[in-house]
Amino acid sequence: MAMLEIENLHVTADGKEIVRGLDLAVPAGEVHAIMGPNGSGKSTLAYVLAGREDYEVTEGRVRFLGRDLLAMEPEERAAAGLFLAMQYPVEIPGVSNTYFLRQAVNALRKARGEPEMKPAEFMKRLREAARTVGIREELLRRDLNADFSGGEKKRNEILQLLVLEPAFAILDETDSGLDIDALKAVARAVNGLRGPERGFLVITHYQRLLEFIVPDRVHVMVEGRIVRSGGKELARELEERGYEPFLREAA
Amino acid sequence: MVAARHRAPATALVRLGETRLAHADAGALAGVRREAWRRFLETGIPTTRVEDWKYARIDALLARPFAAPGPAEPAAGTLAAAFAGGPRARRLILANGRVLAGPSHVGGLPPGMRVLSLAEAIARFPERVAEVLAEVPDPGPFTDLNTALAEDGAWIELEEGVRPEVPLQLLFVAVGEPSAVMAHPRVVVRLGAGARLHLIESHLAEGAGHVLTNLVLQVRLDEGAELVHEKLQAAEGGHALLARTSVRLATGARLRDRVATVGGDFVRNELDVRLEGEGGEALMAGLYLPRDREQVDTLVRVHHHAPRCHSDQFYKGVVEDRARAAFAGRITVHPGAQDTDAYQQNRNLLLSDEAEVDAKPELEIFADEVRCSHGATVGGLDEAALFYLRTRGIGRAAAEALLTYAFAGEVVTRFDDPELAAQLRRAILARVPGGGMLDPEGLVA
Repeated sequence: MAMLEIENLHVTADGKEIVRGLDLAVPAGEVHAIMGPNGSGKSTLAYVLAGREDYEVTEGRVRFLGRDLLAMEPEERAAAGLFLAMQYPVEIPGVSNTYFLRQAVNALRKARGEPEMKPAEFMKRLREAARTVGIREELLRRDLNADFSGGEKKRNEILQLLVLEPAFAILDETDSGLDIDALKAVARAVNGLRGPERGFLVITHYQRLLEFIVPDRVHVMVEGRIVRSGGKELARELEERGYEPFLREAA
Repeated sequence: MVAARHRAPATALVRLGETRLAHADAGALAGVRREAWRRFLETGIPTTRVEDWKYARIDALLARPFAAPGPAEPAAGTLAAAFAGGPRARRLILANGRVLAGPSHVGGLPPGMRVLSLAEAIARFPERVAEVLAEVPDPGPFTDLNTALAEDGAWIELEEGVRPEVPLQLLFVAVGEPSAVMAHPRVVVRLGAGARLHLIESHLAEGAGHVLTNLVLQVRLDEGAELVHEKLQAAEGGHALLARTSVRLATGARLRDRVATVGGDFVRNELDVRLEGEGGEALMAGLYLPRDREQVDTLVRVHHHAPRCHSDQFYKGVVEDRARAAFAGRITVHPGAQDTDAYQQNRNLLLSDEAEVDAKPELEIFADEVRCSHGATVGGLDEAALFYLRTRGIGRAAAEALLTYAFAGEVVTRFDDPELAAQLRRAILARVPGGGMLDPEGLVA
């Protein structure tokens, strides 16, 4: 059984159907990539999986580790092990990065019936993660994402991924706006987490990230559905030929 | 007869005032007091039809049968909980407007710094007190009332270049009495050229009751002088506070004014800032967090009289339950005040359908080369931010509490004194719905 199983998913926003009958299964231990042009519904899919309320699921179902994902609140999904690295991380002035993350760690632990993490242990883990993704200690003390550069925000998402250690992570265009060093740091962090128990769904526009995070499967998403799936070589093919042939097929 | 849209003061209040004035001071001070009293009676109590009092329902408050305050002795524990400014801070403690010599500590001041109770200042140099009390610009009825009836308060003077290392705290305690009482403390602050003072003003209450504190703080900053004024109002239990702060700044003088209101049935904060010399700076920030049926009214007036001055107002409010808050900020750039930078921001978070916020920014510009901006917002919590926190496992209630705290926290970070900031943080957590779910440890913002 796959970790994440999506069957015939239909999603509308503001009366417009954005995801139109999507099927996808990601087994444990695998990294799957979704590639597609702008407006194909990739980010909508990511938000729906994380539980954002602005979208309406009109049909289909999603199972996560055997549970009905769509019936769960966002925080329950997080407690079940789902994580979304957002394309546009939200700025929250007034809450320090460190405080926020400690609250998150302990909220997840509490939801799982585990004791709180000791402050010293937390700080050790936070600093290690910061080193891995190349985040300055000063950013840990600053307000969450406030006045962070675009690249710092993305690195900060991956920092959270490292600290929270979810069973399954969705990366929504984490590569956009990143320079090559940042891209490598993100890839290093993700590759370090890969393992037989963990799954990843990497949403991206470009093939570049997939040179560093080599996927097990690549899916092409066009106009709200998966139109083609293949191995890692599919990413290169897309890079060469573009999405044009798939757009024609979809039309 | 009283002024249009004003009401005659209640008989109890008039009788109390007349009695007090009958055996008041002699000489010039008596003249200043009688003149202020006459103006007060002539003007009367503003109704909500007066623009600056539009949202302030003070009628019921002032119609109470006030008695003269009796001797009030708050418990040592009550006071200690509000101590701020570090272990070496100097402190003047006032209960229902009167200085308590016992628990106060204003000894060992640096040469050139003088801190007296107002009563003592009156006893020692009444002519000078008379002159100074009369010089508050644009006084208004409650400042007049204070001038007429102020018996005690503080007289703080720093000579040229005097810069004490430790803060001075004024601690005002409203001590509930069987009948309603009114106190009119007056604080005079005068900083000579280049002097610097960190003044902490705390308000708290002991016991429920109806203590109405009508406080006037008047400040003069000479050339290059600098005042940091941080105020925490946490007088819960039926008490009310009318607080007028008036600051005049000479060339190159600087003011940092901070205020946080986290308790009080009715609190009115008036801040009147006059930049009278070139290159002056006034940085103002405030937070109000009324709940239940509390009301907080903020009126800020900034006058740019001289060129190249900078003023900045940053005020935020979190309004819960059936509470009401009003913010009116006026920037006036007078002719000749070229190269003025004047900014104002007022942001409000409404946490209940029955809460109310009225925001009124005003700009009056009579000079060229002026950079001014103002903005006011009233809204609820940011859904995108809530979602973000929830995807990290933080439950809805805790996420809401955290965002509410964060909203307020942006003002807390502007407080300089760590103890006062800590008291404020605790007060916010106690007031924010779900605040108890937040771990106070590390919540430093």
